[in-house]
Amino acid sequence: MNVVEASGLGKRYGSTWALRECSLTIPAGHVAALVGPNGAGKTTLLNLAVGLAAPSAGAVTVLGGRPAGSLAALDGIAFVAQDTPLYKNLSAADLLHLTSNLNRRFDQHYARARLAELGIPLKKKAGKLSGGQHAQLALTLALARRPRLLVLDEPVAMLDPIARHDFMATVLTAMADDGVSVLLSSHVLAELERVADYLILLARGRVQVACEVDDLLASHRMLTGPAAEAGKYAQWPVVHLRSGEAQAHLLVRAGADDPVAPGWEAHPVGLEELALAYLREPGAAALPGPARSRHADVSEVTK
Amino acid sequence: MSIDKEVNGQPGGRASASPPAGGGGKAPARPGQRGPGSPIEFRLDPGSGVPTYLQLVHQVEHALRLGYLKPGDQLPKIRDVVAALAINPNTVLKAYKELEVKGLAAGRPGQGTFVEATLSQIALPELTALGRSLSGWLTAAEGAGLDEDGIVAMFTSTLRDFYERRSGSHTRGGAADRGTEGVA
Amino acid sequence: MTALTMTARPAEDASLRPVPWRRMAWVTWRQHRIALTGVAVFLGACAIYVWINGLQLHHAYAAAAACHPAASPACSALSSGFHVGAFLLNGYNLQAVPALIGAFAGAPLLARELETGTFRYAWTQGFGRSRWTLAKLVPLAVLLAAAAGALSVLLSWYYQPSFAPRNPALFPLPMSTFAATLFDLRGIAFAAWTLAAFAIGALAGMLIRRVVPAIAATLAAYAGLAFAAALYLRPHYLTPLVTRNVFRYFLSPPGSDYVVRQWWTKGGTTLSQSTTDQVINSTFTRMMPVAHSSREGAVAALKQPTNVHVFHYLTQHGYTQWTSYQPPSRFWPFQWIEGGWLFALSVLLIAATIWLVRRRAA
Repeated sequence: MNVVEASGLGKRYGSTWALRECSLTIPAGHVAALVGPNGAGKTTLLNLAVGLAAPSAGAVTVLGGRPAGSLAALDGIAFVAQDTPLYKNLSAADLLHLTSNLNRRFDQHYARARLAELGIPLKKKAGKLSGGQHAQLALTLALARRPRLLVLDEPVAMLDPIARHDFMATVLTAMADDGVSVLLSSHVLAELERVADYLILLARGRVQVACEVDDLLASHRMLTGPAAEAGKYAQWPVVHLRSGEAQAHLLVRAGADDPVAPGWEAHPVGLEELALAYLREPGAAALPGPARSRHADVSEVTK
Repeated sequence: MSIDKEVNGQPGGRASASPPAGGGGKAPARPGQRGPGSPIEFRLDPGSGVPTYLQLVHQVEHALRLGYLKPGDQLPKIRDVVAALAINPNTVLKAYKELEVKGLAAGRPGQGTFVEATLSQIALPELTALGRSLSGWLTAAEGAGLDEDGIVAMFTSTLRDFYERRSGSHTRGGAADRGTEGVA
Repeated sequence: MTALTMTARPAEDASLRPVPWRRMAWVTWRQHRIALTGVAVFLGACAIYVWINGLQLHHAYAAAAACHPAASPACSALSSGFHVGAFLLNGYNLQAVPALIGAFAGAPLLARELETGTFRYAWTQGFGRSRWTLAKLVPLAVLLAAAAGALSVLLSWYYQPSFAPRNPALFPLPMSTFAATLFDLRGIAFAAWTLAAFAIGALAGMLIRRVVPAIAATLAAYAGLAFAAALYLRPHYLTPLVTRNVFRYFLSPPGSDYVVRQWWTKGGTTLSQSTTDQVINSTFTRMMPVAHSSREGAVAALKQPTNVHVFHYLTQHGYTQWTSYQPPSRFWPFQWIEGGWLFALSVLLIAATIWLVRRRAA
């Protein structure tokens, strides 16, 4: 099943296109990271996927073909928006009751146990919680709905390192326990490699990369060699070139088996370096990888 | 200095990088968290440049070598690893599958992943002989003018070429031990 | 870090029945209980004030009305204890009640969600945003209208003395049942205006998306509508009756009838207002006796023309007075008409609000 399928998706605000010609297919069972500079259209894409915005062009379906924003889609998707908005004058207990009333499925036991474990008092008003506690509360409410897809908009931007780690640990544990797929937008490239196994790079409203991380890393190489010979690789799909006087680094789309000219070295590239290179070259794009649904049958091995 | 620069994880030996349990600091650390299952715990070095799943594979191999893990022991449950390190469960799965391919571990449905075999133990006289020939090489390298970093660089790149030639597609993607940045 | 495991995922409900409506009752109450309690306290305070004041005024009125003879000093003392001005003034204040309810209960409903961003939470829950809006607006609207309706029953009781057969000493200025304060505080008009104010507030909140400006806009829109209705709509709900040469309407307040328009004709042509004023003034002047001495002046004072004389003079010299008016018997038909169009307007505004919720982009 594909948790998100978009074809030609676009969104316009006034005369500006925040997102254009976005086509991607995110398979289930993955953590898909949506990365891009500010204003690239990440929040727009997420809003379209959860039904908070309607497309100006194209279409987006979720959870195997359900129209985004329909009741069927809302049932299976839990969204935590940027700055985790919650009703500030309601206590955690009230918010649990509220969310329980607004959804068909709600795991009260899990939610209460989780809040107790985190040390979040049930009677305190949400507005008085610390940043980390607030984010964890919003996440607990979302996970207690037992969604198929969890969508997070820059969830850890405001959190300190420990809170950030705990937040992501919660998300990933839910993925391990419950098989929930995750789509999150992030600024923090450094933590991507640990967490993401599907990468979407957005720049200026267009999709540059939409691909499984393994396929992406396997299909790129960093070539290092004499700067004078950099032109040799003009034929190859070169993503990014950095050159000193004598030495040049070329990031190319090539596999491990592609031949390397003598005098040149080929290294695999790390995810952060690759993402940065693409973001530096808005014109470059990697064709989306094949939509193989790699069913990581995680819940079977766990127990 | 250890040759295995990029191989991490000496369980029990040094301070673990995993954070204390509990977001609010209220729940106590759980030494029994690894459960009745596994003798080892994983740690993660995010700055090392080694892909995460490989770090886990190496830690298991290292534990096997040092005797912390024996055949029949259970490897940490995937969800426990995920909870402690905040990494993608698919990554842990990939590491365990890699160990299966290497014949070191096997999954039992509904129970977990267990150690199947151990790394071939090398007899002590052989180890001593290898160590002596290595010291000889080191002396020659130093005499030729290589400093410590140069020695390490030469060794790791030769090691990589050695395995790449041997294993081919088995180690594609990030499997090649990426210890060096571009050679200056 | 955590040993907490989730239980197995419950089986998918293939029929995908939507979340039942009744769940929203608790949600609406919990989210808006401050506003609702505030409204309850406010209306309760109004009710208590009207009750206490009303009891006192009713006693004073009854005592003064029962007193005979009306012109004696003892009875005059009693009638002065009945404060007509205060009696009527409350009406002006109470007219603000529907506006306040609409502004403070209706406007923040959606505006606060949009202003604080909590709609990103509320509209991505399984309940669905249109159903959520409907489930909030309709029960609240009904509740507020019912509470206002209850208060207006009390207000009808309060104003009873002004419609009883009256003692002119107590009510020198008779009042029409269609007078602004009296009409929309009684019958079903009060509840209907409260409903309309709430609907205006909800729509304003959705359009403006900020709480304070939405409250201001609601108050302004309501005031505009209320004035327009009283001045232009209400007099014409049914075609006014027309009568001629009724002295009662000449240069004096019309009593319990509601005068829509008054005009004079001579020989079939309608006279303009300025011409009419001119004619009346010149008649007064012509009929003034001429005074030659002070004693004659005193006598002349006794012979000053009264309105009656002027009126008879005019009607006997070819002038005809026409008056279109609404009789008090039409009170209830007018109430139903006003209540009806306000109800229809409210339904329209609420529907528009829900439509906007459906199509609003984040």
